[in-house]
Amino acid sequence: MEILRVSRDVYGREVLEGISLDLFWVFFAAGIAFVCVHALYRWLLAPKR
Amino acid sequence: MNSTTTAGAAERASSRIERHALIDRLFHWVTAVTVLVLLATAFLPVLGVQFAWVTPHWIAGLVLIAAILFHVVRAPLAQSLRAMWIGADDLRDLAAIARFNLRLASAPPPKPGKYSLAQKLIHLLFAVVLLTAAVTGALMMVRMDTPWWQRNPYWLADSTWGIVYVLHGLAALLLVTMIIAHVYFALRPEKLLFTRSMIRGWITREEYERHHDPERWRVRE
Repeated sequence: MEILRVSRDVYGREVLEGISLDLFWVFFAAGIAFVCVHALYRWLLAPKR
Repeated sequence: MNSTTTAGAAERASSRIERHALIDRLFHWVTAVTVLVLLATAFLPVLGVQFAWVTPHWIAGLVLIAAILFHVVRAPLAQSLRAMWIGADDLRDLAAIARFNLRLASAPPPKPGKYSLAQKLIHLLFAVVLLTAAVTGALMMVRMDTPWWQRNPYWLADSTWGIVYVLHGLAALLLVTMIIAHVYFALRPEKLLFTRSMIRGWITREEYERHHDPERWRVRE
């Protein structure tokens, strides 16, 4: 999976086009993983207040 | 304790304390809707849902920029910056929270003022990411035709435009993760009072006394 999108200009030089939006699923999964880890921690491990 | 005293105590506990003024709640929900529109118009085409996304995207972007400008002007004038500032007390809270969660201390961490350290941190993170998205988005509008100007793709060097696009995309991707976490915390049972206060504006006095240090968040009687 690419992180940055690049193209080439008329002179053949690399031009930065932006970040790869295919990373959407990585950031989405990171959010879901955070929620799961926090919920499990609060449910199973966190000291009761 | 007689019934009159009991009724008075119950009435006092259920009396309402304003946490968010109507104008601040409107700001929050306008920002929320515009960010969701911006993310939907940005990512749905990437996920295969094709539609004319550019126009709703930049219109929502303009509304978001207007909302941010409003908040940047209003917050220092009408709200307490200290309520959201991360100071030495918050760092002491962080140490106490860490000790409590690592079971190095049995005493629960001290109660916060109006906002907890976690709320201040998420506000700071949203501020940085939304400002990045808004500034880069405003720059990118130079490259498109609008009712007010014609596109000028040569306003910045190609390499600079590349950095602008990377920052805009990174901010959008970070918002996906941050919104998932934000909604999760808003829906957690022990946080529902804060969600209600962002909808209806108030918490009860009993909630105020249970969740906040009156010395760190003084409210009018």
